[in-house]
Amino acid sequence: MKRSYGLALFSSALALSTVASPPAFAAQPRDPPDGIAKIETVVVIFAENRAFDNLYGHFPGAEGIDKASKESLQQRDRDGSVLSELPPVWDGLTAKGVTPPVTQAMTEHLPNEPFTVNDPKGFNVPLSVVTHDLWHRFYQNQMQINGGKNDMFVAWADSGAMPMSNWDASKTDMWAIAQKYVLADHFFMGGFGGSFFNHQWLICACAPYYANADKSPAKPSIAVTDASGTALKIADNSPKSARDGIPKFVSDGNLTPDFYAVNTMQPPYQPSGNDPAPGGDRLLADPTKPTTLPPQTEPTIGDMLSLKHINWAWYSGAWQYTLDHGNKTPIPNFQYHHQPFNYYANYAPGTEARREHLRDAGLAGASFIQAIDDGALPQVSFYKPQGNLNEHSGYADIQAGDRHIADVVAHLEKSPQWPHMLVVVTYDENGGIWDHVAPPKGDRWGPGTRIPAIIISPFAKRGYVDHTPYDTTSILRFITERFELPVLHGIVVRDKAVAAHGEPPLGDLSGGLDLN
Amino acid sequence: MDADRIVALVTAAGIELTDRRRNAKGDGWSLSFSSGATVEVGDDGSARVAGKGSKAVAKLLDMSHAPRGS
Repeated sequence: MKRSYGLALFSSALALSTVASPPAFAAQPRDPPDGIAKIETVVVIFAENRAFDNLYGHFPGAEGIDKASKESLQQRDRDGSVLSELPPVWDGLTAKGVTPPVTQAMTEHLPNEPFTVNDPKGFNVPLSVVTHDLWHRFYQNQMQINGGKNDMFVAWADSGAMPMSNWDASKTDMWAIAQKYVLADHFFMGGFGGSFFNHQWLICACAPYYANADKSPAKPSIAVTDASGTALKIADNSPKSARDGIPKFVSDGNLTPDFYAVNTMQPPYQPSGNDPAPGGDRLLADPTKPTTLPPQTEPTIGDMLSLKHINWAWYSGAWQYTLDHGNKTPIPNFQYHHQPFNYYANYAPGTEARREHLRDAGLAGASFIQAIDDGALPQVSFYKPQGNLNEHSGYADIQAGDRHIADVVAHLEKSPQWPHMLVVVTYDENGGIWDHVAPPKGDRWGPGTRIPAIIISPFAKRGYVDHTPYDTTSILRFITERFELPVLHGIVVRDKAVAAHGEPPLGDLSGGLDLN
Repeated sequence: MDADRIVALVTAAGIELTDRRRNAKGDGWSLSFSSGATVEVGDDGSARVAGKGSKAVAKLLDMSHAPRGS
């Protein structure tokens, strides 16, 4: 299948254009809710890798684990049979170096049901401990969801029982904020799989593309799918049962067979995981590396905001530190693939757009917080916490990120811009972790698993659980309606796909607001 | 240490595998990770870490790392 290049041509032209009329392909935005103009500042905080049930599965009034049917709590093996017990967490539940560890042996013979990691009668691992990461990849996520039954999360994981883990987060700072404002309990990640892809969905509602990938260094990274096109082809030597080991696939690559990038690729510009080419431009990543994605040209929400002269910024924690000093672990542990605009030609090094819109949030968000305190936020801000504060399994714990984000919210509540502000705190994706609610049936790319989202504003309903179906693109819907932007193509396709499946339309976040 | 074991240990720490392929000589695997680290794993069990993020990956694998680019 070949991609239409019409949009790409538009995007290139956009950088040179000052014309404020919408492009020919764009649909008109739907009618905005009454009173939407009361929101003058939008802030999106994007944390990492938690399913809804993982943190908010016992939140009062929400559709949590307590409301799940017994069948939906059970996991099936790769042959479709119900597992008699969960496999162990391969290599143990806690991250390397954690003492005391929860070893693989300690996770043997768990019953086939969700378990609470910080249960005092169980593993009793506190929220401040880093735990084992899990596969969170494009095809595996679809295989795990299994048509909405959500009963193959363990079968197609690389971490044994780990997908069935959850936490009692009722004492966290963000839980209290969710109780004060609005918890959306039907908010789904925009795309299947991981962080790379879902950051793209947050800004573009699109799948990145690698033209002529079959003639590029990335060729071996083209995935091999089965006849369905939505699942990986299983290798002959793959263990037959989830209890026998991690599944193997013929090719679990980053690119679809028709060259869309759905798993992690590196940005073409620094900061990138890939160094510059020897003797090449120091501002670029080596384009001959198989994991360097060519610059993207699809229109983004940033392009649309700029088109309408709405000021906006992507604030990235430890961005300048990493450019100046290189990355450091465990702090700040900058994540290259969490910077979606750094994949786009419109924001290449040396462009005015990059200088204006890709901003350093400082270490631990210090510069972003300063902008909040000064009342200097642009009309639309995206904030990406640095790695150790993003709650991602494997290298970050929940407590540090939760406290950091709650602190940012506390500053926002005191900001001079607060009286007309909307804040959305959500996660990019589920991190490979099970959730019991079936995602709405959409298009080829998503929506994927349910994730937490908290709507915070002086106009937010108080102490409210919003059951409206949303996905990551609902954030874009709100921004599009509020600032009367042309609608990104991916949103149009998503809306049509959801409607074609007879699903209720995905909302624009206004279900959590009282704008009158 | 074989390639599967290295992948398991590194990805458990939240560092995604981004590429895996046979090396040009056909005597081992080249692994790339989201941190920018690369690991060359020989079929004989030898392993060499390089690239950005190599220090953290080497630590996970209990080995010294090539001091390049991190």
